Amino acid sequence: MRHHITLRIGPATFRIGSAWRQPIEQLARLYAAYPDVQGAIADFTVRLQPTSLLRRFVRPSIFITGDHGLADAAPMSLAHGLLAAEMGMNLQMALGWRRHLLLHASSVEKDGRVLVMTGESGSGKSTLSALLGERGWRFMGDEFALLDCDTGAILPFPRLVSLKNRAIDVVTGAVGEARMGPLLTATAKGDIRHMVPRADAVARMDEGGMPALLLFPRFGHAADVRTLGQGEIFMRLTQASTNYVAMGEPAFTGLTRFVRQVPARAIDFASGEEAFAMVDRLWEELA
Amino acid sequence: MSAALLVQVLRDPAQSGRLDAEGWNRLLAAARAERLIGTLAYRLDDVAVPDAARLVLTDAKRDTAREGQQALWEADRAADAMRGLDVKPILLKGTAYVAADLRAGQGRFIGDLDILVPRNAMPAVERALIAAGWEWVKEDPYDEAYYRQWMHELPPMIHVERDRMIDVHHTVLPLTARQTPEAAAMIADAIPIANGLYILSAEDRIVHSAAHMLADGDMQGGLRNLWDIHCLLPDADPAALDARAARHGLARHVGQARRLAGALYGDGARLTLWDRLVRARLLARNGWGQESRKLLVFAFYIRSHWLRMPPAMLMRHLWNKWRKGHRPQ
Amino acid sequence: MPDLNATTAYRRDASDAVATCILNDLTLFYHHRSGQTHMVISPVPEIMERMDDGAPVTAQAMHDRLARDFDLGPQEEAIAEIAAHLDALVVLGLVRPA
Repeated sequence: MRHHITLRIGPATFRIGSAWRQPIEQLARLYAAYPDVQGAIADFTVRLQPTSLLRRFVRPSIFITGDHGLADAAPMSLAHGLLAAEMGMNLQMALGWRRHLLLHASSVEKDGRVLVMTGESGSGKSTLSALLGERGWRFMGDEFALLDCDTGAILPFPRLVSLKNRAIDVVTGAVGEARMGPLLTATAKGDIRHMVPRADAVARMDEGGMPALLLFPRFGHAADVRTLGQGEIFMRLTQASTNYVAMGEPAFTGLTRFVRQVPARAIDFASGEEAFAMVDRLWEELA
Repeated sequence: MSAALLVQVLRDPAQSGRLDAEGWNRLLAAARAERLIGTLAYRLDDVAVPDAARLVLTDAKRDTAREGQQALWEADRAADAMRGLDVKPILLKGTAYVAADLRAGQGRFIGDLDILVPRNAMPAVERALIAAGWEWVKEDPYDEAYYRQWMHELPPMIHVERDRMIDVHHTVLPLTARQTPEAAAMIADAIPIANGLYILSAEDRIVHSAAHMLADGDMQGGLRNLWDIHCLLPDADPAALDARAARHGLARHVGQARRLAGALYGDGARLTLWDRLVRARLLARNGWGQESRKLLVFAFYIRSHWLRMPPAMLMRHLWNKWRKGHRPQ
Repeated sequence: MPDLNATTAYRRDASDAVATCILNDLTLFYHHRSGQTHMVISPVPEIMERMDDGAPVTAQAMHDRLARDFDLGPQEEAIAEIAAHLDALVVLGLVRPA
């Protein structure tokens, strides 16, 4: 394809091709501090291609696909090209990664031990991980936590953090403009802005840690902490994994061990400060 | 053309030795797009491969092994659902190759479960599958009527819990196709394998595969079909294959499939002008895994429908499809 | 339909072996052959365990085996419930008609 870039995030290498210049330039700027892997053999190919030949020029419309794709993926406007590239990479991981169990979860690390947070979109897991990453924790990922089914360790996947709507101002205030990508307005998920993780998160992106606490955060509710049965935790985690079935028995072994060994709580909170206090307290008590 | 590179390496794995990183990227993208990455992985077992590529290939082997196992489970479930019907479930395509441990099944991606049953057994089979949890994929009434009236299979069904599709065929080509293979003869000569399941005879497997690729399809997935045929050919007796193909009215198709398989994966073959056009279509894939030569690909899409339907019906069908926004990719 | 006369026999095939994991509130089976994970609660694990030998067993016979270790209450109801569980396991493919 006319424009392309190769990126490595944690254990996965992506070759991204685009019919347009802009998305590749934006990726190059935001991933400038990541390892230089130009010319490497990639795990995945991502393609940002026009929905039709005409659409390359007139009201350009991006179809996201690659080694793995969804036939009915909705096309995106070129103005959201950076988001399209990120979604393309996520799509490859979600549908194609087989070396670890993929949990739709954010994760941060302290003293070699890992806090995993999982929940639906809008639960606050992404924002929470981004902000914890500025408060003494090492940011490991806001979207996917990779569980090594042999060792039980969680490995980082520290791609750009994707912030939505209200979270954008909060995080921009905390990290400063220099680490923020362009504001993408009126996407299917509202406004989106990407944040570059701290340098330590990128420098240590090959370094995993053993999981010590699992949280199910829920933003926008009165403060509350609940315990959950192991059966419910297992079920929620299989639902939060895109490759549990595809991984077969190693995933069963790895995930049941995780559920039996890692203490877990569901937490509700109404503000960031409340969430930090809860995380600190639960980490102190349980991890 | 990266599909050409893929074909070269499948034919002679040692050719991968000359690839740089960019070459590997092109090879892997083409192999994935053609759903031949698992096959490629097995072919490259005994040659030196860069570490990064080996990881991708190992993933593909594991993936196809698991898919094969799951396909066998679906076959087991279908056989279980048909228990007591006195109908032999004949496995077709990928599931058959894996179930019989044929070379064509090694590393092969398997999508839906395809089975062949006698036409007069269809209503009973349909009822038994529905009782066991399969249901119609939500179709619009036009598609449903089209299937029932003209196709060689039931409309696809999906299992409500396992989310896997089954295609129940009563013959091997659409009823509108110009060729009319003798399904009854194929069924009569089917071979029992383990667990109450059957597969087609060695010759009929090739006839079926060639019919699918050349008479039915728009050549999507054609490189993999030809690889299947390349792997199936050594099991068939050449004279018996000729006789069988003639009996089913598919001598021309089988002949072309043999020439193309020989030209692409074997020791070479003399190709006709039409063979060369088909080969060009099969190799239309660039280093990013995209289909190139759009016009040629589109021509084959039109042709696949023209082969199956009389022209007036084709117009009606395409009109109905396009009105709903469907376009060939 | 549960077989109330309890004459239907069931068995577990060696090829349908499962890996078992007990969590605090339920039991998980990983069925190698289908790649499916099943979540079950009592009395299903107890029934499965008592079919490990692979020999055919009716709901009646299963009732007698379970009754050695558990108080099952009125026999007729217990047999009907066991038969329903066995039929459900047949649908999942973990148990086969003998």
